[in-house]
Amino acid sequence: MITARRLDVPTTNATEYVDITSRLQDEVTAARLLNGRLHLQSLHTTLGLSMGHARRRELFLLPTCTLLVESGRLVLGHRQSVFAVELDGPRRRQLALQLDGDFAPAAAPEGDRSDRDLVELELARQLLVDPAAVQVPMRRLVDAGGKRLRPLLSMLSARLGPRRDPLRAAALAAAIELIHHATLVHDDYVDEAATRRGRPTVAAQEGAHSAVAVGVYYFAKATRLIAELGNPDVTFTIADAVEAVCLSQMDDVRLRGSYPGDHAMYLRVIRGKTAALFTAACRAGAQLGDAPPDVVERVSRFGDLLGIAFQMADDLLDYSDSSGKPRGQDIRQRVVSLPLIYATEDERLGPRVRELLAGPVADEQVAEVQDLVVATGALERVGEEARGLVTAALRELDEIDLDGVRPALSDLARATVDRIL
Amino acid sequence: MNATVEGIEAHLAGLESVWEGGMREVYAYYRQLAAPAVALAAAMVETAMELQTTGGRPPDPPRLLIGDLCLARASRLLAETRDQRLQIGFARAVEHVASAAAGGPPSEPLRTQLVAAVGEPA
Repeated sequence: MITARRLDVPTTNATEYVDITSRLQDEVTAARLLNGRLHLQSLHTTLGLSMGHARRRELFLLPTCTLLVESGRLVLGHRQSVFAVELDGPRRRQLALQLDGDFAPAAAPEGDRSDRDLVELELARQLLVDPAAVQVPMRRLVDAGGKRLRPLLSMLSARLGPRRDPLRAAALAAAIELIHHATLVHDDYVDEAATRRGRPTVAAQEGAHSAVAVGVYYFAKATRLIAELGNPDVTFTIADAVEAVCLSQMDDVRLRGSYPGDHAMYLRVIRGKTAALFTAACRAGAQLGDAPPDVVERVSRFGDLLGIAFQMADDLLDYSDSSGKPRGQDIRQRVVSLPLIYATEDERLGPRVRELLAGPVADEQVAEVQDLVVATGALERVGEEARGLVTAALRELDEIDLDGVRPALSDLARATVDRIL
Repeated sequence: MNATVEGIEAHLAGLESVWEGGMREVYAYYRQLAAPAVALAAAMVETAMELQTTGGRPPDPPRLLIGDLCLARASRLLAETRDQRLQIGFARAVEHVASAAAGGPPSEPLRTQLVAAVGEPA
């Protein structure tokens, strides 16, 4: 079996040695390559490859390089590292990477299967006891699918400390998912969306009053479930994140007047709107498991980067027919989104995109904006940035002992963007 | 009630309009029963439910989002008290009222439930 990927290597200087050893090891781990070879090839005439001492730079550069893999680890000497060597930077570089050999069987996608089953059971159990008036619409939304990324991150993070209790972890994970769904119900109401995941939204099916009440009910219920765990740090982490989400929602609606926005504004909004709950899921899980403080901090940063990557990848769904929500909805709703921001930066097509966005956006304008965004290459740029963030997120975990959870966290991290890219 | 004197001003960021629009009086009521942070949390919960679930028309989006922020901030204030009994009592009160608003079983008035939660012996 052979797998192939591209490795993004941004450089920041005219000449530069970029140590890519840990990233290559991440690729080997993520691919579950046990014994075989990693082949690397530069895709640029002025980017070389070198193997050598971490401190003494080699001058002998090659365009290709093959490394052996044994028992899932790169075969390297004690001080030996692999470098991408920039000769004409700074630039955005890419390396082609292929892995061949014997691979371990693939794990269940998006986290351990037993974790997912536990989360589903706990969600079903919690919904079962609720009054029909709130239960029925929420069950429709929950049963429509969803990737369960936040609860699975929480479940995995809860294994990072000595106090392992799968049932308490599942209670926390289900509560986090209910908070997420409560925000979706209110989001759909604010955006006047008719469908989500291919089904009618609560506002569209049960009416506006019901949508408001259902969101409030499940926010309160989730808060109670978390309080009942009796861990004040966990309670605070989640409460703090939910406040960040709410502030960001207000920001998001307010900023629609300054559409399409810029990168800094975009990051500020999505850090609150999306990444805050990813961060909290990881942090609260680790806190519940009584993980050491440095692990809690690392896994929180991992969640933050992953949440940002997820939102960037999610922005791309506006240009796809397979997401369950109407194509072009972000453009119609004037939601701050990264593909649009990048498209407006394009020298040739950007002015036309801005012109279209400045006026009323009916179906005709939405279609033209989408075509222009594709033509600028903005979608590829967003995709690359999202992948780079996932790699950076995984690097946050390099220095900590993950006690066997690393492969599942890596799988889950890659699944956040690979489902789209 | 003066928010600065009470030491709660920082918690009102983004909620100044609802504070001036009536939350101040609600806070004054609960302040007779509880410490500033708890009284403010109760006032925020009551204000949120007033904004979101009462009246003949559903709230417009800004009103809904301010209500959400009130609930979230109340939750954070209660988290800071590290008082699990209060956290659970307040959450249950909101659950009952929201469920009733969605067409579920009738609920006791919110204030009655919050006062009970504040006043329950530890």
